[in-house]
Amino acid sequence: MQNVTITKKFEFSASHRYWCDDWSSEKNREFFGKGVSPYGHGHNYDLHITVGGRINPDTGMIINLSELKKIVNNILQDFDHKFLNVDTPYFKDKQPSTENIALTLFELIEKDLSAVQADLTLERIRLYERSDVYTDVWKEAE
Amino acid sequence: MLRVSFSRVYVFSASHRLHSETLSDGENESVYDKCNNLHGHGHDYKLEVAVSGEPDQQTGMIIPMPELDEKVSKVLDRLDYKHLDKEVDYFKKIPSTGENIILYLWNELVKEIGGSRLHHLKLWETNNNSFEIGKGGL
Repeated sequence: MQNVTITKKFEFSASHRYWCDDWSSEKNREFFGKGVSPYGHGHNYDLHITVGGRINPDTGMIINLSELKKIVNNILQDFDHKFLNVDTPYFKDKQPSTENIALTLFELIEKDLSAVQADLTLERIRLYERSDVYTDVWKEAE
Repeated sequence: MLRVSFSRVYVFSASHRLHSETLSDGENESVYDKCNNLHGHGHDYKLEVAVSGEPDQQTGMIIPMPELDEKVSKVLDRLDYKHLDKEVDYFKKIPSTGENIILYLWNELVKEIGGSRLHHLKLWETNNNSFEIGKGGL
């Protein structure tokens, strides 16, 4: 069966810092390079959110984009213009790497999306840290 | 189960000429058209390389970026600023179409990165032509 999806792009700006407590300062510097600065550094993140589901015969839509905007912007409030290590609860025990930020966002968005409409599927998210660095998260049947 | 991949975009520049040894000159001209130009032509190829796996507990990363860069550069250095058909052995008998280049890159990158981690490649020949190979999900 054909599967139709809709993708919407969002943006947020945040700073983060790489540091592993189990390692010496030297090892941290060697591995993470400039990323260890205690004050953090920042990126303009681009987030592409792909949603799948039944096309509503009345509206012709899988999800009303204003609904998706509301859900995602509500979550991104905690990320936008924040120092991710300090200002959010998500990266106290894990690195705010592109991989971990994308995983966290996938879980948060999926939860809120299914609360709004049970038959919607968060198919995939793609998080660009820069135009040449990105992470994808998707679900796969076990 | 959630799957995660990490991708980097790389650029290499190369010239080539599409010409198949198994076709006549006339057939080559009609199949490949301007890409059959005798003296070749070039592109800035863009390659998106995706690796998948569990992010490491300590680093939060599937693969450290400098490690990925080093492995990919090792392969792309063989093509960068080369005439593919004249200077890269693999393409001396095989037409250097986007399809064949991405197959070559997949096989070479598997040797460097490993088949379990290499997940997906997207090769842009121009802004309008792209080729993909991989394990799905992206």
